Amino acid sequence: MKIGIMSVAHLHAEAYIGNVRAIPDVEMIGIADDNAERGQQFAAQFDAHLFPSYDALLAEKPDGVLICAENANHRPLVEMAAAAGVHVLCEKPLATTRADAQAMIAACRDAGVTLMTAFPMRFSAPLQQLKARLDAGDLGEIYCLNTTNQGQMPIAHRAWFVDKTLAGGGAMMDHIVHLADIFNWLFGRELASVYAQSNRIMHADTVDVETGGLLMLQYSDGLFMTIDSSWSKPLNYPTWGGLTMEIVSERGLTVLDAFSQNLNVHQQNPAGNQWAYWGSDMNQAMIAEFVNAIREGRETAVSGEDGLFALEVVLAAYESAETNQPVAVSSQYSGET
Amino acid sequence: MRVGIVGTGFMGRTHAAGWAETPAVIAGFVSKDGATAVSLQNQYGGHIYPDVDSMVADVDVVDICTPTFLHHQMALQAAAAGKHIVCEKPLARTLAQAQEMMEACDAAGVKLLVAHVVRFFPEYVLAKQKVESGEVGKTAVIRLKRGTFQPKKAQDNWFVDFEKSGGMMLDLMIHDFDYARWIGGEVVQVYAKTIRNTDTEADVDHGLAILTHADGTISHVEGSWAYPPPLFRTRLEIAGDNGLIQFDSEKMAAINLHLHERGADAPDVPLPGSPLDESPYTTQIKEFYDYLANDGAVRVTAVDGYKALQIALAAIESSQTGQPIKLGH
Repeated sequence: MKIGIMSVAHLHAEAYIGNVRAIPDVEMIGIADDNAERGQQFAAQFDAHLFPSYDALLAEKPDGVLICAENANHRPLVEMAAAAGVHVLCEKPLATTRADAQAMIAACRDAGVTLMTAFPMRFSAPLQQLKARLDAGDLGEIYCLNTTNQGQMPIAHRAWFVDKTLAGGGAMMDHIVHLADIFNWLFGRELASVYAQSNRIMHADTVDVETGGLLMLQYSDGLFMTIDSSWSKPLNYPTWGGLTMEIVSERGLTVLDAFSQNLNVHQQNPAGNQWAYWGSDMNQAMIAEFVNAIREGRETAVSGEDGLFALEVVLAAYESAETNQPVAVSSQYSGET
Repeated sequence: MRVGIVGTGFMGRTHAAGWAETPAVIAGFVSKDGATAVSLQNQYGGHIYPDVDSMVADVDVVDICTPTFLHHQMALQAAAAGKHIVCEKPLARTLAQAQEMMEACDAAGVKLLVAHVVRFFPEYVLAKQKVESGEVGKTAVIRLKRGTFQPKKAQDNWFVDFEKSGGMMLDLMIHDFDYARWIGGEVVQVYAKTIRNTDTEADVDHGLAILTHADGTISHVEGSWAYPPPLFRTRLEIAGDNGLIQFDSEKMAAINLHLHERGADAPDVPLPGSPLDESPYTTQIKEFYDYLANDGAVRVTAVDGYKALQIALAAIESSQTGQPIKLGH
């Protein structure tokens, strides 16, 4: 099995290359990037082969590629891979527009290749245990959820993360999709409406995208939940951010903190406090799922349609924040493309 | 200064303990429950009066600690008699009632105070001070949470009667609506959803609200009477353009008791409480005393109580209509 990486614009490529290499009998054939300098730096840092072009990488006939381009640049790379008959794992958000996401799904379907959206939270051990308890009925009827996916403003990681054109937006485009997809996974896609309010108060001098966002989602069956997608963790916070859920159900309260499995480390010299994560590696589990699905000739656990659904929530949130009204989603969303 | 306390339930008892720490004299209690009134009389002295009208002649201040729906009538009685008023939150059950109370007090030239005690809890006070001093910069996203079980009553549980209490949003969540406004400024739009069983004995009453403040700050407020007893959790998070303040009652508890108790039951009304030299309820009553006796500064006014009520009622309306509610000022 041969896997390549098309574009390393997204930070996650740095984790994924190690994840691919950690899987037995999988060859990491190398990377390609339309930004020559970025490609060379990455190839040198991670001791990876650098192909001169995406075509050259695809000519090597990989079984699958990981696409880690800027959010707005996913589509052409996905279409190239599909045309070459190569399975695709595409970084989230799947795209920044509905049209792009639909075109990517159609291209992969027509080519008979898998399109998996990179939603690593699906592979989080705490979330998987939560889903097992939910599916077993241990929580009883679910009434509502208060959830957060907050983070640091990510300009230090990649400048394009805060570029409206390349990223498609700010904190809402960056962070809503994870929880929207988790809701899709736990409760399905019967979403009725989305209400959102956003602002650009934090980092107002640095970025021109929204940095604060609160959403309320209403499902058709009465279930509702809020998401805090703000870049509200200060730049010197002990970690990048986190994902939490508080679930009120018939049986009581369930509290989940997906990134709580840390050691507190207090160091004198150099002075500093940090959280050292010891939990399971969800990225590794996600990459393994992509590889295993290819090996077994089956659909991946996460689809392109799942990526489109999460994007629909984001687009509705932007519309709601703009109009100050809840936005109906069911009429817009269709899994058919 | 002589104070008469109306209502001898949990809050009447708590206020009595506060007044006992001031130079004020507790003139007595109005109660429909003889046993609790006698118990308070034994502890603090004073008389037991059958009703507000029979008490007002003996006092300078009427402290109203009765169920929400009774605040309005009792405040009007006190104002008509020319007495200052301390009133438990929420100020009233409806905005019209609150308005009438404020006008009656203005007309009578008496002071009206509302006991939004969260403004006296040291963790909330310190967070407010840090925001005021600019440590986190301009506020951007505020998150407030107050979650517990449904309050019980041996009889006549008015808490679960929506007409009498306004439910969880008006009784409990109003604390954080007031605090959100104290930190983030005037609220211009409210959107909320609630899960509320129409059965008055239901043990589910839970709400989530998104507030939009005039300066662009957004607030997430969660309130719950849906948790299993004896859980009581509060949390605050204030993110600004220069930093973040976090408080979590569970993570920052100074003492945790995990005891085997035979036949133990949760208290009727959950009591928040970190170990402190002085109860925030007493701090509040002391400040009220100073305001009433000496015109000292007071951090929460009847107008604040009115506006907290306005936000809470908007949250209820939003949860009923599914629409965001705009607030005028």
